Amino acid sequence: MSVPHTCLVVEDSPMMRQLLVLALSRVKNLRVTEADDGVDGLRKLAGGKFDIIITDINMPIMDGLKLVKRVRGDPTHKDVPIIIITTEGSNEDRQRALQLGANAYITKPIQAPQVIAKVKELLKIEAPSG
Amino acid sequence: MTEKKGRGPRRSDRPAANVAADLKQKRDAFLHTFFRRGAELTDELVHENKRLRDEIAVLEEENAALKTQLASDRAIRDLLEKIEGLEREKSRLLSTVHEHEEITNRFTNRFAEIEQELESFANLYVASFQLHMSLRARAVARNVKELLVQLIGARSLAIYFLDEQEKRLVPITSEGVDLAILPVVKLHDSATSDPVGAILERTVLTGIAHVTEGEITSRPAACVPLQLEDRVVGAIVVYSLLEQKRRFVTVDRELFKLLGAHLGATLVAAHLWTTGDGRLPTPDALRAMCA
Repeated sequence: MSVPHTCLVVEDSPMMRQLLVLALSRVKNLRVTEADDGVDGLRKLAGGKFDIIITDINMPIMDGLKLVKRVRGDPTHKDVPIIIITTEGSNEDRQRALQLGANAYITKPIQAPQVIAKVKELLKIEAPSG
Repeated sequence: MTEKKGRGPRRSDRPAANVAADLKQKRDAFLHTFFRRGAELTDELVHENKRLRDEIAVLEEENAALKTQLASDRAIRDLLEKIEGLEREKSRLLSTVHEHEEITNRFTNRFAEIEQELESFANLYVASFQLHMSLRARAVARNVKELLVQLIGARSLAIYFLDEQEKRLVPITSEGVDLAILPVVKLHDSATSDPVGAILERTVLTGIAHVTEGEITSRPAACVPLQLEDRVVGAIVVYSLLEQKRRFVTVDRELFKLLGAHLGATLVAAHLWTTGDGRLPTPDALRAMCA
């Protein structure tokens, strides 16, 4: 059994967290940790090693973009892939997130296969053929 | 019998030496002629032999060429047979490949269908879970609005509830649009000029949901009746969708069905729970009601 991948989901909506955790449960060998907002996310990040981060933008206390900036500025986690999942669908928002260092930008409502595919791509997990 | 006359002297008349010389001369002449003819014949035979040899050589060459051609024809025929065999094999393999492609396509399509079904189930499970997670009206309203925004992609929406006494629909909560500006919609008001109000009224009176097919270009995008038992007690109105969401998909319609069937009861239950200060009914009271 290979070493499991670890994923941090930062999302203030319990419903979206539940939906994401449900979707990510279909990725083999992936352990998911949940965080309520950016600050909680940074706390969880400091206490463990994560291979990928999925974060919302609009959150109380610390939003997703600030979280991206903080993660990219942290030498320990600066290379961790980050996926933004948000209701903000404009190109400006997308560009801003990508400029800050996000690796992917997915708009809500999410489609589970799209999220799964992006996570596998960034974690370099081989997708099933066909 | 007559004697021949005038032919010169008879043999017996000439001297023997002359006769011998004459005979010798004749013999020599004969021999000369004989050998000359023999030589000529020999020459002819040699020529004929040479001609025949040449002809044989030509014929042998032709024969060799024909043999080669025949061998070549055989090789070609063998190759043609081999090609035919290979063509048959190719056709069989292509047919097998097509069959396998069809099977693969069927599996791929089925896989996509199952993916879609899984997504639908996941969304419905989460929606149902969140909808019934709380009996506080505010939490119920918040969860429903979040469901509509996050799962369906609604930008602006409202929930209307029926005022039975006044026969009107009153907005009770909204998202993306100010509740204060939302109109109260009177039922059986055929004079209404507001198209959204008209659709809302029709939805509640008929109990049939209005969910836009294809690209959404007009408001409201959807209007879903809230069922409670056999009555319609209100409606969800989705005015517009997020920029990136252009049309409803199958799972959205399933979510609308779920919300339409559950939200009315959840809101009424939340109201009863709140007005009852969260007191549990007694088992006796419940048993009496269940009997």
